[in-house]
Amino acid sequence: MKANRCRNPIIVVDDLYVNFYTYAGVVKAIDGVSFCIERGETYCLVGETGCGKSVTSRALTRLILPPGKIERGRILYYPEPGKVVDIMKLSEEELRMIRGDEITYIFQDPGTALDPLYTIGYQISETMLVHGYINKIRKGVSRAIQLLKETLIPDPEQRIKSYPHELSGGMKQRAVIATSLANRPRLIIADEPTTALDATVQAQIMELLRNLKKKRGLTILLITHNMGLVAEMCDRVGVMYAGQLVEEAPTEELFRNPLHPYTRALLRAVPNPLRRIEKLESIPGTVPNLIYPPAGCRFHPRCAHVMDTCKRQKPELTRIGNKHYVSCWLYSRR
Amino acid sequence: MVDLRRFLIRRLITFIPTLIGATLLVYFVAAVVPGNPAKLWAGGEKASAEVVQRIIEEYKLDEPWYVQYYYFMKMLLTGKAISPVTHTNVWAEVLDRFKTVTLPLTMLSFMFIILIGIPLGIISAIKKDTVVDMILRIFALTGISMPIFWLAYLLIAALTGKGLVTLAGFPMPAYSITGIPLIDGLLKGDFEYLSQLLKRLWLPSLLLSYAGIGVLVRLVRNSFLDAYSSDFVEFMLARGFPRRRIYIHVLRNALAPIVTVLGLQFGGLLAGAVITETIFGLPGMGSYMIRAINNFDYLSLMAGVLYVAIIFMVVNLVVDILYAIIDPRVRY
Ligand SMILES: Nc1ncnc2c1ncn2[C@@H]1O[C@H](COP(=O)(O)OP(=O)(O)O)[C@@H](O)[C@H]1O
Ligand SMILES: [Mg+2]
Repeated sequence: MKANRCRNPIIVVDDLYVNFYTYAGVVKAIDGVSFCIERGETYCLVGETGCGKSVTSRALTRLILPPGKIERGRILYYPEPGKVVDIMKLSEEELRMIRGDEITYIFQDPGTALDPLYTIGYQISETMLVHGYINKIRKGVSRAIQLLKETLIPDPEQRIKSYPHELSGGMKQRAVIATSLANRPRLIIADEPTTALDATVQAQIMELLRNLKKKRGLTILLITHNMGLVAEMCDRVGVMYAGQLVEEAPTEELFRNPLHPYTRALLRAVPNPLRRIEKLESIPGTVPNLIYPPAGCRFHPRCAHVMDTCKRQKPELTRIGNKHYVSCWLYSRR
Repeated sequence: MVDLRRFLIRRLITFIPTLIGATLLVYFVAAVVPGNPAKLWAGGEKASAEVVQRIIEEYKLDEPWYVQYYYFMKMLLTGKAISPVTHTNVWAEVLDRFKTVTLPLTMLSFMFIILIGIPLGIISAIKKDTVVDMILRIFALTGISMPIFWLAYLLIAALTGKGLVTLAGFPMPAYSITGIPLIDGLLKGDFEYLSQLLKRLWLPSLLLSYAGIGVLVRLVRNSFLDAYSSDFVEFMLARGFPRRRIYIHVLRNALAPIVTVLGLQFGGLLAGAVITETIFGLPGMGSYMIRAINNFDYLSLMAGVLYVAIIFMVVNLVVDILYAIIDPRVRY
């Protein structure tokens, strides 16, 4: 098993492949991704849009809807140290019991995540109901109020009776976070939780997540393409490109010493929180079509340091420094 | 609540032009029929000039069309319209035929549309792109495109010998509570009468509803799939909701267009009842209106149309109110 780089992992993903069978062809969306998340840390996945962050995070509970399919790979979930659950071997019902209970999601757009026809309180209670923590929606009311309090929604007694359209975007995202806390979450997967919100609200939501994590002892997988958030929130960062994990390092290390040409380009393309940069550059070229992905290293057509090997052979993720891994031929001794 | 009252008043006011339009249309279509209605009403070619003259005066047939129309409407709306052909009050007969035959016929059809169309549509959506879905879609398309009379005669031929349907007469209960036999039978728990009534009505109702079932299966399938592709469904899956619970949310979200079309379908049933009642010899509003057309009895025809139009508008008003119950975002 190549992936276990963690001492006390909550999740280990090993050699994950996910395809989407579309009319245009087979989209090879995730191509051999391996990583692990340490219990109690905040792990970030970064990368351009379409590079497979969401698909990877959903695959953790096999939440891949047709036409998508997990082709192969191992996903191990450790609810507690020493106790392991093989996600790939679970039945649909067993998966259902984990989703929304122990592993919960927060999606990008709170505007569409909730059913517009039911109240906030109903939908929070329902999340408890489907996991058997209550047996009637009505019995979830007091807990729902308490959860809204926990997510700092003002006037929670009234808000549980509100419909989603009666709340602002930020309030809706807080309500969504409340649903993710409703049962007994261990790992929260936040998929660009603030991308759809404006900047001041973004900061508040992040603050909330940070405090909740501390208070409840959660593990967070944060997906973002905001490097500022990465610096602020994350312990370790995984950089994805076109369905592959190209680099992984502790946050400071990554900002100080980015190795992969894509990571470097990415950091030049965004305001770097650790360094003053005069001008932002865009990464030349576009994300490749994943139906016919480039052979070898998927980044090679856009890479300034491209060599012959890059076009033929996929580089393995190799350890370069303490907890610093990169998959690039520039750093491999062959 | 204040909003609802304002909404109702506003909607009721829009009823007026609609009713005038519908009756005016019927009036014109009937009035341009060649021939002298007074002579026809008086008994044809051998009618005496005296009787013809009296009819002309009584129904203002020598006046311009707008006076005549106004006069007809006045008679109809004050409830005093006497048919020149049957010499009975037109309302009495319209109401009686509606209550006893057309209402149970259309209600049963409506029930079939809802109880068959919605579940089949949901199954078709859930089993999307499977054999089951294909069979249901063929079934739906057949319902929409098959002429009702063709299927009717086919089924009549197949079923009459077996005692499953009756085709003549119309069973009436010996008592009257509300005046609507179907409801009276239910209130009394008179199952013998109800089974007679059903024997007479199930086949015409089912045939009448087939087109509506077809429309509904397709609509429910598509709006269910539409709602199923919403983001909130994925978020429910992510929260570990079981399928059945998700389907309930999806169905409620798919309901608005379904309710709209159901309202329109009700109008379609009233129109279809004309053909169905004629085929099955049912003494309802439809056959009444056909007879009125044949007899140039356009006062009766206008009464029938007016009545159907009012029912249709009320049903659609109910639909609009249902909207707000289904969807909390709807404001009047
Ligand atoms: N339902 C789908 N059908 C086809 N392709 C998909 C689907 N969902 C995701 N993909 C493909 O998977 C790749 C990764 O997508 P995603 O994980 O959403 O990217 P992101 O990093 O922006 O979250 C993309 O190239 C996208 O085209
Ligand atoms: Mg995404």
